[in-house]
Amino acid sequence: MKIPKIYFGTAGWSYKDWVPNFYPKNQSKNFKWLEFYSQYFNLVEVNSSFYTYLKPEMVFDWTRQVNRNNDFLFTVKLHQDFTHAKKINKEKIKSVKENLDILKSEERMGGLLMQFPYSFHCTNSNVDFLKNLIDEFNEYEIFLEVRHKTWQNKKAKSITFCTIDQPQIGQSIDFNPIAGNDKAYIRFHGRNEKAWFESVNNFGKEQTYEEKSERYNYLYTPGELIEIGIRIKEIYEKVNKVFIVMNNHPFGNAPANAFELLHYLKEVSKVKMPETIVRAFPRLVEISK
Amino acid sequence: MPRIIFHLDLDAFFVSVERILDPSLKGKPVIVGGDPKGRGVVAACSYEAREFGLHSAMPIKQAYRLCPQGIYIHGSLKEYSRFSKGVKKILEDYAPMIEQASIDEFYMDFTGTQKIYGSMIMLGNKIQSEIKRLLGLPSSIGIAGNKTLAKIASDAMKPEGITYIYPGMEKEFLANMPIQVIPGVGRVTLKNLNAKGFFFIKDITKVSQDYFAAAYGKHGIELWEKANGKGNEYLNPPQERKSISKERTFGNDLIDKNEIEETLFSLTEKVCQLLRDRNWLTSTVSIKLRYSDFQTLTRAKSIKATDDDKLIFDTAKALFKKAYTRRVGIRLIGIHLSNFSEFSDQEFLFEDAEIKRNKMFKAITKIRDKYGFTSINYGKNSK
Repeated sequence: MKIPKIYFGTAGWSYKDWVPNFYPKNQSKNFKWLEFYSQYFNLVEVNSSFYTYLKPEMVFDWTRQVNRNNDFLFTVKLHQDFTHAKKINKEKIKSVKENLDILKSEERMGGLLMQFPYSFHCTNSNVDFLKNLIDEFNEYEIFLEVRHKTWQNKKAKSITFCTIDQPQIGQSIDFNPIAGNDKAYIRFHGRNEKAWFESVNNFGKEQTYEEKSERYNYLYTPGELIEIGIRIKEIYEKVNKVFIVMNNHPFGNAPANAFELLHYLKEVSKVKMPETIVRAFPRLVEISK
Repeated sequence: MPRIIFHLDLDAFFVSVERILDPSLKGKPVIVGGDPKGRGVVAACSYEAREFGLHSAMPIKQAYRLCPQGIYIHGSLKEYSRFSKGVKKILEDYAPMIEQASIDEFYMDFTGTQKIYGSMIMLGNKIQSEIKRLLGLPSSIGIAGNKTLAKIASDAMKPEGITYIYPGMEKEFLANMPIQVIPGVGRVTLKNLNAKGFFFIKDITKVSQDYFAAAYGKHGIELWEKANGKGNEYLNPPQERKSISKERTFGNDLIDKNEIEETLFSLTEKVCQLLRDRNWLTSTVSIKLRYSDFQTLTRAKSIKATDDDKLIFDTAKALFKKAYTRRVGIRLIGIHLSNFSEFSDQEFLFEDAEIKRNKMFKAITKIRDKYGFTSINYGKNSK
């Protein structure tokens, strides 16, 4: 079986509740989270770009922090102004592109993630909107995440549809690995149905970090990851690159599951991971290098 | 050409999975089954627990008396079945044909594959290590000329054994084994045979087949043949699934229509999930209804091919309403889907021709938006 190149990581890396389950408790003055993170993963999805327009110097600093991992790539989530509020202007486009171009010139650019909400259905006007947005960013690799079932079984020549695993509520799209443009981009949101459902009611309300995170608070069981892994392997022949992004971030669940899934997908006996995570998740001991 | 059948048995499967979930269970007597003070039986137990005389299918109360220090776990069949799928996936990469006999047992036909794989023992070893490496599960393999012998062989050296019964060595291999190793010899048969002086397989092979035919009929002939190393040399080909159904028998007969519909709804959710897992669409929805006096009805309706829970549930509900005419309690309700077709391939976006297709989905969305599938979903389940 041909195993494609696997980029694996998490959605974001800066979570205070990853200490001590992933990041060590005692950190030296010079300890940099992304630098530590990049020793174990070769991908990170930047999510802060969804909420703010990032400062270019910060983006540049990130590229320095991952220096020791030649393979490392960033994918960047497009600002919500584009995908949710739909308030777009030239300034905003320029600001986004400036950061993407830094990553590109540093050879760290994995792609641009456009994530639309569940309410974004497959309608003619939405397809038109999407087409224009994609045209605007056509110099970058684009990954598109849509969550409503009306998009199921759609694909496009110019972009890669994301595959998502999420709680199966209402007309949520099923987990069904999609290969597009020789790639697959697979995001895992966890399966915390109760909190996911409740979060719909709390949308727009002011919430604490813990409240906001609860919908992602889920640790996949090893069996669930096997089932998922089987489905992903079914598209190995169709792709050259697979991007795996775990978004079930609370308490370090995301990195723990990422290591487990990587073990299964790459068919390796052992995976390099920090001691901290093995202590927090004892079931990782068998596969830890 | 000599037949080569593998039987792969996952060692203490449920316990092995529990130990992956919680490594602190390693080296301890672990029992998977019902409540240790309840009426259930032992579904599986670790080798450490077996040293206390425990075995699967033993009443769990008895197990608890023998091994009160054991760790009793209820277990999750769902999780075990996921691991089982993982095992099957690995086997599919090697075996030209597989028959899954149960959640933790697989037969494989490797006849004529020596030129590809070379040594069958080495092949067994490779499969075994891959299952261990990828899934963390120990297994035992028996290799022989037929299914019965392969199964006896896999059981001969557990855990993590590989036993190959070479062609021509069958009788010798079996001779000194106790008769209970023969698949199908249960407690009653064993007692009966022991009473007649049959303790080892060689005791059976010493008498004629006619004797067993006369004493035990068809079952006797089968037993004699198994004892003589004979058995089915071919696997059962996988059955093409022609229908998906789920039914539920109520503890107490139900008369409340809403309650029955709720059950029908949750059964619909389950069959629809199975449908989508296979990427199928159904065109025939049937329901089954059994009244408390055992009168049973089935009603079916053909619909446009779909995998949509709501459309399927609406059809089933309408069938139920039409069929439920007597003022008598309901003992059982079931849903049955058949007449399948494959879901069409992926469709392209951003191309002009797709506008037509969009209209279709728009219409579906409209129906869903109007009736609010989510509210039905949660309305039913949250009660």
